[in-house]
Amino acid sequence: MPAASGKRFKPSKYVPVSAAAIFLVGATTLFFAFTCPGLSLYVSPIIPAYNAVVFLFVLANFSMATFMDPGIFPRAEEDEDKEDDFRAPLYKTVEIKGIQVRMKWCATCRFYRPPRCSHCSVCDNCVEEFDHHCPWVNNCIGRRNYRYFFLFLLSLTTHIMGVFGFGLLYVLYQVEELSGVRMAVTMVVMCVAGLFFIPVAGLTGFHVVLVARGRTTNEQVTGKFRGGVNPFTNGCCKNVSRVLCSSPAPRYLGRPKAEQTVLVRPPFLRPEVSDGQITVKIMDNGIQTELKRTKSKGSLEVTESQSADAEPPPPPKPDLSRYTGLRTHLTLATTEDSSLLGKDSPPTPTMYKYRPGYSSSSSSAALPHSTSAKLSRVNSLKEPNSICESGHKPSYRSEPSLEPESFRSPTFGKSFHFDPLSSGSRSSSLKSAQGTGFETGHLQSIRSEGTTSTSYKSLVNQTRNGSLSYDSLLTPSDSPDFESVQAGPEPDPPVGYTSPFLSARIAQQRETDLHGRFAGAASPKHAAPREPSPVRYDNLSRHIVASIQEREKLLQQPPAPGREEDAELADSGIQSTPASSNAPRTSSSSDDSKRSPLGKNPLTRPALPRFGKPEPPPALRVRSLGSPDQPAAPHLGKSVSYSSQKTASQAGGPETEEVALQPLLAPKDEVQMRTAYSKSNGQPKSLGSAPPGPVPLSSPTRGGVKKVSGVGGTTYEISV
Amino acid sequence: MQGLGLGTSGDMLGSVHSLQELRRSASLATKVFVQRDYSDGTTCQFQTKFPPELESRIERQLFEETVKTLNGFYAEAEKIGGSSYLEGCLACATAYFIFLCMETHYEKVLKKISKYIQDQNEKIYAPRGLLLTDPLERGMRVIEISIYEDRCSSGSSSSGSSSSSSGGGGGAGGR
Repeated sequence: MPAASGKRFKPSKYVPVSAAAIFLVGATTLFFAFTCPGLSLYVSPIIPAYNAVVFLFVLANFSMATFMDPGIFPRAEEDEDKEDDFRAPLYKTVEIKGIQVRMKWCATCRFYRPPRCSHCSVCDNCVEEFDHHCPWVNNCIGRRNYRYFFLFLLSLTTHIMGVFGFGLLYVLYQVEELSGVRMAVTMVVMCVAGLFFIPVAGLTGFHVVLVARGRTTNEQVTGKFRGGVNPFTNGCCKNVSRVLCSSPAPRYLGRPKAEQTVLVRPPFLRPEVSDGQITVKIMDNGIQTELKRTKSKGSLEVTESQSADAEPPPPPKPDLSRYTGLRTHLTLATTEDSSLLGKDSPPTPTMYKYRPGYSSSSSSAALPHSTSAKLSRVNSLKEPNSICESGHKPSYRSEPSLEPESFRSPTFGKSFHFDPLSSGSRSSSLKSAQGTGFETGHLQSIRSEGTTSTSYKSLVNQTRNGSLSYDSLLTPSDSPDFESVQAGPEPDPPVGYTSPFLSARIAQQRETDLHGRFAGAASPKHAAPREPSPVRYDNLSRHIVASIQEREKLLQQPPAPGREEDAELADSGIQSTPASSNAPRTSSSSDDSKRSPLGKNPLTRPALPRFGKPEPPPALRVRSLGSPDQPAAPHLGKSVSYSSQKTASQAGGPETEEVALQPLLAPKDEVQMRTAYSKSNGQPKSLGSAPPGPVPLSSPTRGGVKKVSGVGGTTYEISV
Repeated sequence: MQGLGLGTSGDMLGSVHSLQELRRSASLATKVFVQRDYSDGTTCQFQTKFPPELESRIERQLFEETVKTLNGFYAEAEKIGGSSYLEGCLACATAYFIFLCMETHYEKVLKKISKYIQDQNEKIYAPRGLLLTDPLERGMRVIEISIYEDRCSSGSSSSGSSSSSSGGGGGAGGR
């Protein structure tokens, strides 16, 4: 019997077992003493022998069932109980052969009870494969002693039947001596046997059925598998063999404590971990993804910090899962990576991007921007680097930089490295394009084409907020003046979310500025205070439809080869690169925004097919980027709305250019990424404040920059 | 801690290494619990999922190999075959008195497991500052892996334990 420490001696619980023992031993002894001699004499001596064997078997099993540890689990140590009792969920579900099984938390033993384990209130122990607590043996019946209990029942039934039968035989043989003592004793024994036979046989039959079905009494009585499937059964034969033929399980309590002879002494070896290893593992499965996330993040951080360019810090942990997988691609990144990026990760369903919680943070959004922006930026910056004052700023972070500006560095090439990470998360880019972001980003992408640090800065700000805030996009300080070098970092920090309407206003201002720039007049900076946008998904349906349309158009139009036609367009193309990243949305949004707030010719252009622009212009733009056309092309392709408009007139510049650029954009994802990217890029640049200087940051051949504001406050700077 | 490189314990190595041992001792930082894998019923298996806490301490492959070997041992112990059947019959015939003299098949495999775990500890886990605990001590519910940190009082941090705090007080106080 299990030792119950600290418990009072309760004689009551020993009554049943005592009674059972007394009846068993007593009756059998009487049988042997009074009936067997006569039987051996008159019938056969085998009868007592047989009965002796059976009785021995009964006793052995009875003893084993009574004294054997049923499989008590030792109490869990404190170390194992990580969670507070109060906070631990009561149930933990585990799947066994496809069936959900609940494991209950045992407050006494402080662990989740394994399947088929139950806590016996009499013994106050959790018992493995708990069957029941038998009062007749005063012991729990569990995994270890169920076999003995079952055999006890079988043998007891046999014994009872034998005693009764042979007693009856004796009586029949000695019918003439009914009044003898032996006869009386035999009759008494027969009555006792007959009396106990009914419950014992019933219980035996019950357990025979249980064994055949692979259930425990507990499960049967509580009806766990009533009408359901028992996950613990292996078929009748296997169940029986498992009960009877399996090797007895070991006991857990009362084992001699193993001496710990192994010494743990520093120094300790550490495994080597490679980045590639990490990134690969991220793709393994969901479980490991989280594990690897931290790792990849760390590796990313290490890489970034080690890089002289002080790459923007990696995005927050949740976003890394999206990027890390692409890191491997990044390492292999070439200029063509931008096109490849889109293929890396599966395209996100259109609507999914608009889901609020889809993008964990703007940081993810920032990445795609950065990807496209950086691509364009690399190209554009190559030339104006010398003149680009803001070029010293990395501004363009592939990942949302939650770090202060100090991390920025004008290593666009390197930043480009991490862009693919973001590109992998197209959804993120799309997310950034959500709501007001669409237009804003689009506009901003155009603005940021100048590859001013401001544009990137806006991107950074966006990510820093950790939300789809496009304030940075609208930050005048960060206005992406591609045509002129910004004096310095934009003074206005991102405030928060910008309402689409506000953005529209700002966009209008910027467009005005843009025009003013053309005229040589300095455009006022956007000093519009930003207010957190109450609605993020304004014009959602519009954007969706527009983006879908744009995508279709993009797919229809093949990318145009680079051409010489548009040096200017190239500039705009550069500018619109970020915008193009947001093309699907931003272009649509920009269209909308242009239509609504501006009401100017660009917006009236929508009648023109977005891709109506002849191919040459887009191609030219690509080329003017001064970088491989391919990366630029996708960016360019984004600004569909603008390109179409631009065809109408140069003044409408931004639109047309963007439209022209759009055909170059092949993969949807890139478009989306760029869209988001451009959004973030364009935002901080103060389009309005863009100097009318003819030299955009993106390209020296750049003419004036026209700023067009779209819906949602996105502002697009289009070189004219 | 049980004999964990505490150079100060008198019953351990002589005072020859005492200086270094005094300086470099390991303290228990945390414990990782590898849970049972119940996907196949109540047969004794442990999850081979690599715990994140061991990420920087041991190679995934080694860990998985250990767990898989243990699972194999347990499967062998619970195997229902001719040998176990004969053992049962013999036990019945002798009214289970045979258990006083002979150890069961399961117990034999458990001894093998214990030996294997000790071997693994000596060769693989202890050099990495880890210690496997026989699941039998925990009721075969978990494999407990103790993670030790290097606690150098001398201030020289162990190269192996990057997570340990160099200098006094090792980052992980014993629990």
